[in-house]
Amino acid sequence: MTTQHRDLLTETGFEELSERQLATPFIRQAVPKATDHTVAAMGALFADHDREALRDRGAAIRDEVIADLETHLVDLVAACEAKGVVVHRATDAAHAREIVRGIVRAADARTVVKSKSMMSEEIELNPALEADGVKVVETDLGEYVVQVSGDRPSHIIAPVIHLPREKVRESLSAVAGEQLPPEAEALTAWAREELRGSFLAAEVGITGVNFGVAETGTLVLVTNEGNARMTTSLPRVHVALMGIERVLPRMEDLAVMLPLLTGHGTGQQISCYVTMIDGPRREDEPDGPEEQHLVLIDNGRSALARSEYADILRCIRCGACQNICPVYRQVGGHAYGWVYGGPIGAVLTPLLRGDEDGGELAQASSLCAACDDICPVKIPLHELLVKLRRRRAEGDSAPRVEKIAFALWSRAWSVPWVYRLSGPLGRLTLLPLARGGRVRRAPRPLARWTSGRSLPLPARRPFHRR
Amino acid sequence: MDRAVVFPTCMGDLVSPQVPERTLGLLRATGCDASAARGGTCCGQPAFSAGHVDAARRVARTTLRALDRTEGDIVVVAGSCAAMMRRHWRELFHGDRDEETATRVSGRVVETSQALAARLPALRRLGLRWRGRVGYHDSCHMLRELRVADEPREVLGAVDGVELVELRHAKRCCGFGGTFSVRYPGVSVAMADTKLDEVSELGLDALVSCDGGCLMQLGGRADATGRDVRPMHLVDLLDEARPR
Amino acid sequence: MTRRLDAPTELAPGADPLAAFAAGVTRSAAGVGRVAARDVAGAVMDVLGRHGARSVALSADLGPHLDAVAAACRDAGLDAERYDAIAADRARIGALDATVTGCTAAIAATGSVVLGAGAGRAAGLIAPLHVCVVRAEQVLGGLSDLFADPGRFASSSLTALQTGPSRSADIEKTLVIGAHGPCAVEVLLVEATA
Repeated sequence: MTTQHRDLLTETGFEELSERQLATPFIRQAVPKATDHTVAAMGALFADHDREALRDRGAAIRDEVIADLETHLVDLVAACEAKGVVVHRATDAAHAREIVRGIVRAADARTVVKSKSMMSEEIELNPALEADGVKVVETDLGEYVVQVSGDRPSHIIAPVIHLPREKVRESLSAVAGEQLPPEAEALTAWAREELRGSFLAAEVGITGVNFGVAETGTLVLVTNEGNARMTTSLPRVHVALMGIERVLPRMEDLAVMLPLLTGHGTGQQISCYVTMIDGPRREDEPDGPEEQHLVLIDNGRSALARSEYADILRCIRCGACQNICPVYRQVGGHAYGWVYGGPIGAVLTPLLRGDEDGGELAQASSLCAACDDICPVKIPLHELLVKLRRRRAEGDSAPRVEKIAFALWSRAWSVPWVYRLSGPLGRLTLLPLARGGRVRRAPRPLARWTSGRSLPLPARRPFHRR
Repeated sequence: MDRAVVFPTCMGDLVSPQVPERTLGLLRATGCDASAARGGTCCGQPAFSAGHVDAARRVARTTLRALDRTEGDIVVVAGSCAAMMRRHWRELFHGDRDEETATRVSGRVVETSQALAARLPALRRLGLRWRGRVGYHDSCHMLRELRVADEPREVLGAVDGVELVELRHAKRCCGFGGTFSVRYPGVSVAMADTKLDEVSELGLDALVSCDGGCLMQLGGRADATGRDVRPMHLVDLLDEARPR
Repeated sequence: MTRRLDAPTELAPGADPLAAFAAGVTRSAAGVGRVAARDVAGAVMDVLGRHGARSVALSADLGPHLDAVAAACRDAGLDAERYDAIAADRARIGALDATVTGCTAAIAATGSVVLGAGAGRAAGLIAPLHVCVVRAEQVLGGLSDLFADPGRFASSSLTALQTGPSRSADIEKTLVIGAHGPCAVEVLLVEATA
């Protein structure tokens, strides 16, 4: 089983990828249904509570961390080490992969079980471990399906939101070597049994981290399936991968952050399992890993913390911006070409991968700002998108023709009499193409408008002449 | 007597001049000393949102200076332009020689439905009457940057015979998004379809909005697909509702 | 915390914690029974019998109830062992029908139970049925009450907040109860002795 992916981000642009998704009927049916459901559940959950105040507190807690990230990290590291956790700091994705490979090799591991981690996707860990001959098994049901079908997760919380049940059945049946029943219950039960064997056999368990508490050195994991707790309980070695920004100052902050995360992520009051880890197994405890590693991964984050994009580091990966996004709900996560889809992806991808690779994604938004309003930690996502567009427009990765077009336009429209000419001029140009005052097929560049829409003719007498 | 000028926006000026014209007429009918703002062009939003700040500033400066020569409320007939002028002009001219002007002018900006809602008693006295089921589409920037959502609904409520039907997803984007609509026509059109499908399903007589961009998008898509949906500006409906 | 936190995970002012806890457990798709201290063993046996559990592990954190429950299991002919005695035998714990644990706290607002590693890290989730014995005085109001005292977490290498049976909605958003953790959770709330 191999999970090497082509880099769709650089190979193909958002337009082509999104057109592909638009042509997939299941996505256009399932994604809106699932995301609307979660948004509605969130609304119901917070109906009798002051969501605004809670978001303000959440944002303030996250800002406190980002403003002084290194101090909080030093505290976290000290608290973790005091509990016997081996802490590693990785500068980038390649460095992080090397650290994890080293731990897995030292553990002489043949099987690694994993609990869903966006960080692991970001550093593309699985192919690196597989290249070393290690069997890597994703244990979150959705991630497992993604893995056995050679696919990629398309939503932060619901990785196979893009797959119909019949496809899931096909993929799992191929692994089972027999045709499995079609019901979700039966497929889940089969996966439970299948994965149970891996849990019991694995020498190493790898998880992400939802929050790391600096005050106590507690690593917090949130799941509904219980797989993170299995992954951190049964294998001899536990490796936690954590983006350096996921620190919280104090334990009491969890009383704010947990309901924000679960409420916005799934609309649940609380997820089934909130697991708080304080080091490896202790002598008087019946089970648990003998070795506990924490890999703190920077991968561009400390630079972001000092930049005008620092607000993005508040993100707690709840997926709410994906659920509310009118673009995401049409095209799903794969249109974004890399790990993160939706508004968070449109902002984070150019920031983590640079404008050359990811700059286009900042354009893939109508700037409706629905994401700003739903974000549990009030990240001004649409403002960050505008900033990124500005960065791209001022840099080298924006097309020359676009720069020239805006420069010419601004020169023309800053002179009132030239501006006034553009109405009649436009009308004259389009008049031969119009029927009943509307243009249904226009030449380039207007063709991109008239593909699917008609265009009104400029008025015979503009307002300024009335 | 209160004073106001109507800023038509580029689209209102060149493409749908009846919108600023009717706004002017309605304001005057409520007793407001309203006139057309002359000498402005565009608020700069298309360039600003696309990241071309210098281009945006250059165009906005012309409009800014023209508006600074006027007095009273600046009534802007498109929600997103009003949001640009009210929320982003100060940022656009930050540290610029026109910073003070920008602060002064943007403080006077109001969106059409705000201006009308502020004159609701006088508007009611006009005896507005329009029979039909009407949906209201919130323009994103008007809703989330200006936080104007109640005013257009209040104004529609002042029209006798209008049955206001709340769309399930009134606050979801229509897919216009300025340059987005031509960069990704496929997604943009799909977003418009979602909105129009709901309107068709409900069998509404009109879909009202306060933003020329949304109306061009929804109208253009409705027309191209032969849908029996009538997107119109708030003031278009009010104008039809005035007794002749 | 200085201000009272207004969140869905806090107990509403004036609400009865035990009633709220029982309601929360029910909402989480788990079962809940209120029993007197002297009836705990019997209640555990009822639950195990109802679920047809044969192979059972008992966690040390059952405390004063451990011996009584163990004796009752023996009398009923169940294959019952202490969890800490079999924790190293993966095949064995993988084949359990049920685990019976105590807890270190419970949360009224959410119907959650809090387990420490002393019970066994995997004890609360390895078997298809988890029976959790909660003493009334262990019930806290909301999450802020749990997290107000960071020292609470120092005594154990793992603290698990568990709410209802495990679940997944990954396949077409169909909610399926029983993913990797238990398919059924039964909470026994032991009334404080008067």
